[in-house]
Amino acid sequence: MVKQLDYMKAEELLNMYGIKVVSGKYVKNTDEAIRFFDGEAIVLKAIPSKPVHKSKSGMVAVDLKTPDEIVKGFNKVRKAAHRFSPYKILAQKMVKGTEIIIGGRQDAQFGKLLLVGLGGVDVEIFRDFSLRVCPITGYDAESMITGLKSRSIIASSDKQFKMVKELLIKASKLMSDNDISELDLNPIILHDDTYHAVDLRILE
Amino acid sequence: MKGPDNVTKVGTYRSIETMMNPKSVAVIGASNNPDKIGHIILQNYLDEGYSGKVYPINNKRDGDILGMKSYKSVKDVGAPIDLAVIAIPADAVPAVMRECGLAGVKSAIVVSGGFAEVGKTKLQDEMLAIARKYSIPIIGPNCLGVTDPKSRVNTMFLPSYKIDRPKIGGVSFASQSGAVGSSIFDLIAHEGFGLAKFISYGNAADIDEVDIIEYLANDKDTKVIVFYIEGVKRGREFFAAAKKASQAKPVVIIKGGITNEGAKAAHSHTASLAGSYEAYEAVFQQAGFAIAKDMQELLDYAKVFDTQPLTTGSRIAVITNGGGIGVIATDAIYQNGLTLATLTKESESKLRKVMPPIVNIRQPLDMAGDADDKRFGDALSVISADPNVDAIVVIALFQTPGADSRVAATISHYNGIINKPMVVVSPGGSYTEVHKNMLENTGVPVYSSPGAATRSLAALINYSKYRKGVL
Repeated sequence: MVKQLDYMKAEELLNMYGIKVVSGKYVKNTDEAIRFFDGEAIVLKAIPSKPVHKSKSGMVAVDLKTPDEIVKGFNKVRKAAHRFSPYKILAQKMVKGTEIIIGGRQDAQFGKLLLVGLGGVDVEIFRDFSLRVCPITGYDAESMITGLKSRSIIASSDKQFKMVKELLIKASKLMSDNDISELDLNPIILHDDTYHAVDLRILE
Repeated sequence: MKGPDNVTKVGTYRSIETMMNPKSVAVIGASNNPDKIGHIILQNYLDEGYSGKVYPINNKRDGDILGMKSYKSVKDVGAPIDLAVIAIPADAVPAVMRECGLAGVKSAIVVSGGFAEVGKTKLQDEMLAIARKYSIPIIGPNCLGVTDPKSRVNTMFLPSYKIDRPKIGGVSFASQSGAVGSSIFDLIAHEGFGLAKFISYGNAADIDEVDIIEYLANDKDTKVIVFYIEGVKRGREFFAAAKKASQAKPVVIIKGGITNEGAKAAHSHTASLAGSYEAYEAVFQQAGFAIAKDMQELLDYAKVFDTQPLTTGSRIAVITNGGGIGVIATDAIYQNGLTLATLTKESESKLRKVMPPIVNIRQPLDMAGDADDKRFGDALSVISADPNVDAIVVIALFQTPGADSRVAATISHYNGIINKPMVVVSPGGSYTEVHKNMLENTGVPVYSSPGAATRSLAALINYSKYRKGVL
């Protein structure tokens, strides 16, 4: 049976490989959520212990900019998550930018695979992705990016190209070293010459 | 090394060498009855002029088959046997395999069907266990076996009047499927490029994709590997062998069975996007293979790899004796990720001097419908020497007033002396077909559409870049 790694444990693991995750914290109630807020917009999301599609099931409230919005958002998320109990509610800093997906899975025939593509909730519709067998070389990482239709969005500058390339090599190492059956970092948001993974799913 | 059923493999890529160049062959199931597969195989050995020893084996008769002394069992031959070609009903194969073992047969190709492909996995395992006991490497079962036009070995059970024999050349073709194998084999002969080795390996009970790709990568006669695959059994080993092969020579691949049943049950975006077919595609891309989408593309790619030099540059010059097709070719160049070359000023002024005033000196170079062999030759001479040109598309429309056999001869001449890749586009009927054959027999790849020609050129350039490690 597949088991989903707890979000905070997943964050810890990603940090070990130098993969940046947006700062976040579990919150038990609206007070804790408001305390997490420091004037910059936040996101609240419910994380059920079993994997479900969060944004499509209403379990995410984004761009909350005032204590009032936070309370409303908290209640909305809690209501939507009710039928997926047990769950936890995570507060995160809101980041905006280009959404990409980096993922991995275990293939019965070829072993661990690494994927990169245009991210977000509609990845299955656009299907713009590259796939390679782990571990990948620098050349593999570069050809994964240049092989995308969205290459000029994902690698909009030389600096960003290099950043995504290095991120892919780190993710490949993460996959190779660990007992991971499926990995979804979707989205990872590219912004201000850096990036942050905002949604993590690691299945053991 | 373990096979699919934890049976130790016997065969390696070296075993295939024995099968391709045997000094002696036993055809088990040989018969005087022309309806029997064993008859056709034996007849083929005679037709092809195989120079080694051939021993017909038929358990029902001593005497002679097709004028040769026949034996009831391989055990009765009393001389070394390098290869046994087994073409008898499946149920009888294990017993015959044991006889092969006792007779010291060095390798076996099991042509017979009726094993794992129809659910008789036990029978296949039984045969395999015996082969393993006597260390006999096997190709098959359920296959056509091997062909080597140089050693004149041909284990195919298809009579020579039904399927053309390719001439000797540099393309090797391996196929899991016998049907795909034999039709491509026939087409290779028809397309006029030569064959190095042909391997139809069926159920891959022992010798599998990994051994075959290693064999072809090491084979000196093979310049281009062409592979039809439905699945592989040893994924990681295949990946390693594939990368190694690609460093030595181009591999063109077509994968059958692209549906993804497993992807439906995926938990993550990644698993739903990247199903088992995508995994194969990833392996092929990562190994630098040229992936063909259908059989025609397979041949198109094989042709350009077989005849043209590598280049990492993607600036394509077009010369044509018809404006419209030059326009279509230009579109196709960009659609395939290539660019139209910009000629140097020097080339332009040279062309201005040799071309008639009606010809605009620009790319694509439209030399007009009255362009003859001299005009083609002048254009090729200038453009092939231009440092801004990496590869050339020649559109030769043989319907035009100026084009005849001399144009074909001129193109062949330049193909022989320039060191840049060149492909020819010649759509048309029977008159064009004659010239297509002239060109192809002198090593010029000819295509019926600008799309096919530029796609093939793009495959060549992508592979060249992979070899050099450039993007």
